[in-house]
Amino acid sequence: MDAGTTRFAAAGARPLPARLAWQARIFGAYFVQFLKMRLAYRMDFLVDTLAVGFSLLIQLAVLGVLFGKVSALDGWNFPQVLFIYGFSLVPLGLFNLVSVNLYGFADEYLIGGRFDRVLLRPVGSLAQVIFESFNVSGLNEILLGLAVMVHAGRELGWKLGAGFGVQDLMVLAVLAPGAALVYLGVFLALTTVSFWFEDKMGLAPPVYNLIRFSRYPITIYSLPVRVFLTFVLPFAWVAFYPAAWFVGGPHLAKVALLTPLVGAVVFGGAVLLWRRGVRNYVSTGS
Amino acid sequence: MEPLIRVEGLCKDYRLVDRREGVSGGLKDLVRPRRRLLRAVDDVSFTIEPGEMVGYIGANGAGKSTTIKMLTGILTPSAGTVEVGGLVPWRQRQQYTRHIGVVFGQRTQLWWDLAVVESFRLLKKIYEVDDATYERQMALFDELLETGKLLSQPVRKLSLGQRMRCDLAAALLHRPRVLFLDEPTIGLDVVAKENIRGFLRDIRQRDGVTVILTTHDLGDIEQLCRRVIIIDQGRVHFDGELADLRRRVGQTVSLSVELREPAGSDELAAATGALPVAWEAASGLRHVARFNRAEVRAAEVIRLVVNDRQVQDLHLAEQPIEHVVREIYRQAAAGGGA
Ligand SMILES: Nc1ncnc2c1ncn2[C@@H]1O[C@H](COP(=O)(O)OP(=O)(O)OP(=O)(O)O)[C@@H](O)[C@H]1O
Ligand SMILES: [Mg+2]
Repeated sequence: MDAGTTRFAAAGARPLPARLAWQARIFGAYFVQFLKMRLAYRMDFLVDTLAVGFSLLIQLAVLGVLFGKVSALDGWNFPQVLFIYGFSLVPLGLFNLVSVNLYGFADEYLIGGRFDRVLLRPVGSLAQVIFESFNVSGLNEILLGLAVMVHAGRELGWKLGAGFGVQDLMVLAVLAPGAALVYLGVFLALTTVSFWFEDKMGLAPPVYNLIRFSRYPITIYSLPVRVFLTFVLPFAWVAFYPAAWFVGGPHLAKVALLTPLVGAVVFGGAVLLWRRGVRNYVSTGS
Repeated sequence: MEPLIRVEGLCKDYRLVDRREGVSGGLKDLVRPRRRLLRAVDDVSFTIEPGEMVGYIGANGAGKSTTIKMLTGILTPSAGTVEVGGLVPWRQRQQYTRHIGVVFGQRTQLWWDLAVVESFRLLKKIYEVDDATYERQMALFDELLETGKLLSQPVRKLSLGQRMRCDLAAALLHRPRVLFLDEPTIGLDVVAKENIRGFLRDIRQRDGVTVILTTHDLGDIEQLCRRVIIIDQGRVHFDGELADLRRRVGQTVSLSVELREPAGSDELAAATGALPVAWEAASGLRHVARFNRAEVRAAEVIRLVVNDRQVQDLHLAEQPIEHVVREIYRQAAAGGGA
């Protein structure tokens, strides 16, 4: 631009593919940076991995004990429940992978004023916050979830091509990220609240505890609870509904396909809330 | 020429909650918090032409940082408009920030845990700086700011002055058209300050970059800015050339005289006779005369003194800018305002 012009280059002149490629490059670079930093603290990584794996094994054991006594849960047999459980771990892992910065958001970004720096960069503010840090132990959950699903599938007598086709794999590849969007949307909405209220604690921890209810077939709950988990706090969509594609009846299987839509709506709503929140950001006095 | 920066009727209100003391106070706060609005920036308007370097000054809490944060798209104004290069900072933030560089002296914009060079590489990717430009800019920064030696250190291990140099370099890596500096020399020693001032002068000559800087060190202003905007309690109290500011407050100058033999100030006062000159004994043989240049010519005072006494040495000094600014604040506080 020559010195005479007083107008900056036109807005959004770039085509979408170029924009997306640029974003992908940046977040790739963020990820590489993150790994470099992580490798400097190798022990942490190891401990994280062990801790998460251990706690998941305990939860599985509990489930095993539970089903040692009752062989079926309201019409669902053990392998089916196990499959739902295994499925629930995949979106949870995806979500955990990218959500670390949401929990500490108020402390790390708002109160410390670190959000100033985020806003000074020509990249989406939410994307920066999400991609600035990763929780690698999310990968454990994903792997464990896949293993549990494979195991449950075997118990159900599935084989690749018989009972579980390539189509199912593709559906899994769409539903799991869709379900992760539900998580992300819910917790993003809760995080956004800190743009208006200074309170550090927030609602995220109690809500996080409710996640465990989503790992069982929701038909075991009373109607109000089912309505609540489907429409209000839509955790039924993070495991039960999508997993029903594989283990539910034909009716539920259709409902399962709505998961990405629900994810998009919940996450989209949270993003709108975030944008309003950013306009409310007040930085710090010094 | 069309202005590059256009600010009109800009206001920012902060919502404050006054906390009460003790447990009962805490409970009351919970039930009915005492809220009030603080107008930190109040109806500020100005325009800035491309290539200008403007000092934005005022006392603590005057609203400087708040203004800068609105100009850089961090804060959304409560009222008024900002347009820089045809863009509205907070509304078109992502496109806008490609064209500006920002340094907050108080807080680094770099990634705390990363080596400086890693931060630069990330910025290179984010701003899509091509390899040739990147190399050229890095060489320039090393030449002018000596950043080369610092590159391998993590930001958190740098001293304040080193960090500030890196922050400046990072803000300029993508060759922005506008540079916002909020207290870029805070906490630096005299040499470091001089370096930064020299760098800013250089960069402005090279790239014609437009600069707004806030500072409490009026040395920055005297050396860098022709134009100053003074704000107090969120309002603009002066906007114009530094020279005008001096003229407006009164161009008081001081003439310091060293005599060969001791004499009383009253004797010197008698020598300058009817002229409105205030004499004051300094130390030993030195005396200082203060007068307004608009009323009294310095040559006349010197002539009268030299005719009357044996003079060893003479020194004529402008009133330092600190006094000028203090005078503006005083006028503002007295309600004299603009
Ligand atoms: N995030 C905030 N929340 C509430 N009040 C704020 C906030 N930031 C600034 N203020 C208030 O707004 C006023 C202006 O602050 P600002 O930081 O803009 O002043 P400043 O001119 O930069 O001062 P300094 O020279 O001390 O840096 C002050 O009264 C300050 O207390
Ligand atoms: Mg300030």
